[in-house]
Amino acid sequence: MRDDLLIEIGLEEMPSSEVSHLSEAFSSGMCAALKKHSLSHTGITAYATPRRLALWIKSLQRQSPNKEQAVWGPSTDIAFNDNGMPTKAGLAFAKKNNLDIDNLRKFVQSDGKQEKLFFKQTIEGNYTQNVIENLINQVLSKLPIKKRMRWGKSKREFVRPIHWVVLVYGKEVLKKNILGIVSGVHSRGHRFHADNKIAIKSGSSYEQQLNQYYVVASIDERRRIISEGVERLASQFGGRAVIDESLIDEVVAITEWPVPILGHFDKEFLVVPDEALISAMKRHQKYFHIMNKQGRLMPAFITVANIDSTLADQVRTGNERVLRARLADAKFFFENDCKSSLETKRKKLSGVVYQARLGSLREKTERLVKLCQFLSEFVGSAPDLATRAAEICKADLVTDMVGEFEDLQGIMGGYYAQNDREHPSVVNAISEHYLPRFAGDKTPKSPEGMTLALADRLDTLVGIFIIGLQPSGSKDPFAIRRTCLGLLNIILENDIDIDLREAINFAGNLVSGPSESNHACELALTYTLERFVAIYKEKHIAIENFKAVAALGLANPLDINRRVLAISEFKKLGDAGALISANRRVMNILSGATFEEMVVDSKILLEPAEINLFKNLKQKGSIAQKLIAQKNYPTALMELASLRQPVDEFFEKVLVMAKESHLRENRLALLWQLSQVLRNVADFSLLTNADAD
Amino acid sequence: MTETISAAKNFQELIFCLEQFWAQQGCVILQPIDMEVGAGTFHPGTFLRSIGPENWKSAYVQPSRRPTDGRYGDNPNRLQHYYQFQVVMKPSPKDFQDLYLASLTKIGVNTSIHDIRFVEDNWESPTLGAWGLGWEVWLDGMEVSQFTYFQQAGGLECFPITGEITYGVERLAMYLQGKDNVFDLIWTEEEGKKISYGDVFHQNELEMSCFNFEHADIEFLTYSFDHCESQCNQLVACKLPLAAYEMVMKASHTFNLLDARKAISVNERQRYILRVRDLARAVAQGYLDSRAAKGFPLADKEILAKAEIGKGK
Repeated sequence: MRDDLLIEIGLEEMPSSEVSHLSEAFSSGMCAALKKHSLSHTGITAYATPRRLALWIKSLQRQSPNKEQAVWGPSTDIAFNDNGMPTKAGLAFAKKNNLDIDNLRKFVQSDGKQEKLFFKQTIEGNYTQNVIENLINQVLSKLPIKKRMRWGKSKREFVRPIHWVVLVYGKEVLKKNILGIVSGVHSRGHRFHADNKIAIKSGSSYEQQLNQYYVVASIDERRRIISEGVERLASQFGGRAVIDESLIDEVVAITEWPVPILGHFDKEFLVVPDEALISAMKRHQKYFHIMNKQGRLMPAFITVANIDSTLADQVRTGNERVLRARLADAKFFFENDCKSSLETKRKKLSGVVYQARLGSLREKTERLVKLCQFLSEFVGSAPDLATRAAEICKADLVTDMVGEFEDLQGIMGGYYAQNDREHPSVVNAISEHYLPRFAGDKTPKSPEGMTLALADRLDTLVGIFIIGLQPSGSKDPFAIRRTCLGLLNIILENDIDIDLREAINFAGNLVSGPSESNHACELALTYTLERFVAIYKEKHIAIENFKAVAALGLANPLDINRRVLAISEFKKLGDAGALISANRRVMNILSGATFEEMVVDSKILLEPAEINLFKNLKQKGSIAQKLIAQKNYPTALMELASLRQPVDEFFEKVLVMAKESHLRENRLALLWQLSQVLRNVADFSLLTNADAD
Repeated sequence: MTETISAAKNFQELIFCLEQFWAQQGCVILQPIDMEVGAGTFHPGTFLRSIGPENWKSAYVQPSRRPTDGRYGDNPNRLQHYYQFQVVMKPSPKDFQDLYLASLTKIGVNTSIHDIRFVEDNWESPTLGAWGLGWEVWLDGMEVSQFTYFQQAGGLECFPITGEITYGVERLAMYLQGKDNVFDLIWTEEEGKKISYGDVFHQNELEMSCFNFEHADIEFLTYSFDHCESQCNQLVACKLPLAAYEMVMKASHTFNLLDARKAISVNERQRYILRVRDLARAVAQGYLDSRAAKGFPLADKEILAKAEIGKGK
């Protein structure tokens, strides 16, 4: 027997970031819990709005299958006496398990060692309606709620206060205690359109029933309504709506009956940079903005109401009024900020503390100037332009606009630099220097931008390590992890050939003297290079490839990356596995030997296989050496891969641990040289044949 | 008052309307605390009453001072002195949201025309050592109220939970009256003669902005803060938590004035906040102890049994 089960939890408005997140967890949690109880079904459809989490579980078994369980009793020599009659122990087992005493002999089976009393017990499966209450409560109590809350006079915790629970199984309404609420048949409609009780008939009718009461239960369906509506309104206005993924996610999560409405704002506000206007619309008001064919912002916005208003004009007017106040603020800030130059504003930075022991923001910019000077050579930027950008890059932090819209730091700096008629490269460098702002964001494109972005991150990184506030455990108050990832990504994406140890030490010296900063700089370097692990995990590159390279103590991220990528490619070659194994064998043999320079005496090489290996090693080794010097690791490794044959032959035919000590020493030296040749690229002993993690 | 007000025609009627509505819900209608505070939450009727197991329902208007928000009366939306209408119910009733929506209808907001939303906004007061979860309420995109379920106050876990609604009175009035400038709000009207919000408060905004930003005596304020701090600690030791709490309010406002005078650096700022928070915590514990000594006269027996008194975090 199977029936559809519908569960709906009705509650006060959930945080927008929780709606789909909890819906998925509720669905997968129920799926796992049902499986654990051996209750099968044919699929789950999840619904979620700000006020409800619902699951339609299709064709859910009414009872889990019966189970057979083996019950073992005492062995026959204990259960029966010499006359073959049941003993006390035998009788007790029979009585306990309700077995026929006269036929007790029938309940005997060997467990492989001896004969014992035995019988198969059938355990009846659980009825779904008996276990469902516990099951739902357990799943709900384990939902990954970011912040749990309490309400009223209950000690119960959930994401928001719960108001109703619907539990309909087939044609039956289940009355269960779910998080302190007695479940029933009644859901509720839209808060303002249809605040009535709705008797839910079944899982299959749920979505349609709610729709009649102005609730679009499906997240995907609301997303479709919103994106189609927003696009339609924008094209009617003669433009194209910009539908940011995170914004539509949020809007989907704060509406039950989404109705897009177009509103306007005054053209006069378009003098304000687009980014500021968009920030005001998107971040504060959750509006979609509209671009024209030329990619310029148009004086309109689309808000998504949660009501099909009887007077939609009033909703529009209300939203226009709110936006007008915000944009008026933005315009006032912008015009006010433009009245003085960044150079003038920079003076105020002396009064702004950057970090307790790292001086003012002004002092930070002074360090950035020196860092840019140093870095320009490596990045290939114009030093005078990069240092000019460094001087004024933080001045926008004391502007009204950035005070109000923090996410515009750097971007506004670029506009204000333009207003001051700074060189276009200086303008670019300033607006780009916070890039990448988040994981997966673009990196700066101009050399001056890269230079300043690197300088800013190096100074932050080193400074925080020097004052001892670096990340520990899960605590990372200054987002140093992100800083380091940004640093590496800027270097890798733009092929910047720089030794990070040198750069970090340079930055460290600017913050404090070498004696004070040395240790912190080493820690900072190690921490930064460890971020490679995250980068490679994302790219599905085996972490051991990185560890093998890192073991060489390199500090040039570009070089490290080239080696790691070359090894990943190399491992795909047929000879790679054998060579890696051979190297491990070499390392084992050498583990007792000293690791000082070992020289091979070619005159006492006897066996053809060792002579052959020696010749090959010399030849391939020197080719590889040249290629490595050119940083051409893929070809170098291809050359080295061809050593596989002579190495295999050597191990097959030559006895390394010869009795004669001079032969033994010489062969060990040969192997040592082999290991050294490989070590020019990476520590091969840390590699396995595993392709990826 | 014999006649029931049906909609808020002007600013003062809006306040009457809200008072009347919440009085009908059994709230104790209090008057504002007669001291400078930054928000209705500072009123002992919210902060102290949210501590401990006792029941409490109250509503009041609270003039709120935010010295740094002063704009010399030039900005149509920002004031350094404005009104909050505060409602607290402890334990928070099951129909708290519905009551709030009914109050909106009562002041004249038609909920089938306007787009009303509960948008997540978690509230935290670092100076009071308090936090809660809830929403800001949007009316056609404008934030008009703040809705919070207190989880902690003065560093103490709340039980039962206080539900708090804070109405931005000026914002709601601007909405109801369709005004873009707060100073154009009609405060009251008699036989065609209108008194505007500007008539009542514009001069005050201008003068107080001058005081907050330019004239407030930094030396005195710094001394005053220190004095409030030490006096607060003395009063806590003397088991006079209510008096000690007045010192917390004074210290907090003094800090806000010093902030407006830009007399506090970024780092010092954090330290000042922590100093006020320490005071608030000490007072919260002292208040809880003082109510415990009286046997929590306003508590339900059932709740008293469930509460684990004095467990701090």
